[in-house]
Amino acid sequence: MTTEIGPALWAELLKARRSRLSWISALAFTIAPAVGALIMFVVRNPARARSMGLIADKAAFSGATGDWPGYLALLGQMVAVAGLLVFGMIVIWLFGREFADRTAKDLLALPAARESIVLAKFAVALLWCLLLTVQLCLLGLAFGAALGLPGWSAATAADGLARVLAAAFLTVLLVTPFGLAAGMGRGYLAAVGVMFGTLALAQVVAALGHGAYFPWAVPALLAQVAAETRQAPGPLGYTLVAAVGVAGVLGTASWWRRADHAR
Amino acid sequence: MPDAIKTTDVSKRFGGFPAVDGVSLTVRRGEIYALLGLNGAGKTTLIRMLLGMIRPTSGSARVLGVPVGRDRAVWAKVGYLVEGPTAYPELTVRENLEITRRLRRLPSPRAVDEVMERLSLTPHARAGTLSMGNAQRLALAKALIHRPELLILDEPVNGLDPAGVVEIRTMLLELRDEGVTVFLSSHILAEVARLATRVGIIHGGRLREEFAAADLDSRVRRRLLVATHDNDKAREILAAEGIETLAPPGRQAPNPGPNPDPDPALALPAATPPDRVATVLVHAGCPPTRLAMAEEDLETYFLRTVGAYR
Repeated sequence: MTTEIGPALWAELLKARRSRLSWISALAFTIAPAVGALIMFVVRNPARARSMGLIADKAAFSGATGDWPGYLALLGQMVAVAGLLVFGMIVIWLFGREFADRTAKDLLALPAARESIVLAKFAVALLWCLLLTVQLCLLGLAFGAALGLPGWSAATAADGLARVLAAAFLTVLLVTPFGLAAGMGRGYLAAVGVMFGTLALAQVVAALGHGAYFPWAVPALLAQVAAETRQAPGPLGYTLVAAVGVAGVLGTASWWRRADHAR
Repeated sequence: MPDAIKTTDVSKRFGGFPAVDGVSLTVRRGEIYALLGLNGAGKTTLIRMLLGMIRPTSGSARVLGVPVGRDRAVWAKVGYLVEGPTAYPELTVRENLEITRRLRRLPSPRAVDEVMERLSLTPHARAGTLSMGNAQRLALAKALIHRPELLILDEPVNGLDPAGVVEIRTMLLELRDEGVTVFLSSHILAEVARLATRVGIIHGGRLREEFAAADLDSRVRRRLLVATHDNDKAREILAAEGIETLAPPGRQAPNPGPNPDPDPALALPAATPPDRVATVLVHAGCPPTRLAMAEEDLETYFLRTVGAYR
């Protein structure tokens, strides 16, 4: 038995490259910094904001400040919230497609361990999500520069971007259980339900003020603390996020190894 | 050399339902073993247990001498096709096979070209656009790419046109001649009759019969068929002479078709001397218009064995 993941990684990268989801996710992570830039524009131009009605209200509601720290914090929040959906869909697609296309059975009786295929899928998910985050950061820098946002400094940019990347990494850890849900549900539907349920729960728990102890609320809190220092996630929150990530990977691998694959 | 497949009293229950119930079978090296069964008989569950995809509730299975689930290295010698052809639809034929080649750790990229050539596959066609027949060819190519010692095929000729069926049959016979063992499930009985060296019949999760294909001849039911212009009268004549006629089948084979037998016949036990029957009927003024020995084919034998036809 071999657990070398090279061949499985090659296969997963090929499948990811050819999927429509790669383009859709890239589009979503292009729209996100553009919307952030629009909010910055509105915040910095209150006279025009009044004539833009709802958009101006939403911009005001976001609580963003019209400068680089505010913009980068907004991007971090986008990664934490929209990322849970987009990164979640990526993991759900990577695992769920094998059941939707009925190709899972072709992965089960191979000399390679099933765990190598699971690990390759999670590795591709991590790479995919981090590339999207890098794309978002680069576009954010370009849009911010084009808007001429004030408050630029290398330290501010480094802190803001590090926070975006950290929120993205934590979010990737938090979507790993959706891979297990896609396996147990033998497709997309159940896992998508779990994902939306988790997102809704995170919003409720965070609104009640307990977000620091609910793993799926932690990335959003991490992204927010630049703007507002409330509910800062502590070591317990980060530990819980790591635990969810480890449990998601191990649980998925264990399910692929032990479950009855009758379909 | 160990048997290619050996199951010992293997069972699988889903909830309370016995999908496979105490099946013990042996497939020897070099055989083409055909497992026959209706839909839901347990064929696919048994095949999935042989491939380690489903854990038996009880009993055990060995593939190429290795207990299933103990050593994954054995899968390097096994090719399989389970429950219809599947492939990644957005990838080309070549890319799908390249994935299989790499996952099977085959060092030579030539393996892809060779198997595409053997199965007449077009490399750049997207798998999602393939006809059912070509999709089946692609699935067989994935099963054959590593030149396995044992092929486990679930309904390998499903969806193929007649030319495709002949092609796959020829290929399987060639593989058998090369020493490959083939374990296949099928409901296309004419194909099985042409291919198999041994046959197992599974029904309700249980292995009902197992026999060498060459022995089918000694198992099938034969009848002497006699047709006359008035079969009711002929039956009375024969009965008066002490010649038994058999009751018509209690349940007809499904879908007799739009053209029922234009020359219905009486059925007599195969041991009845045809010359005596002819003499009796001629002398009674009810001469036979047809006198023939009929024997069951595999399909009829199978249906009778599983109780779908008497």
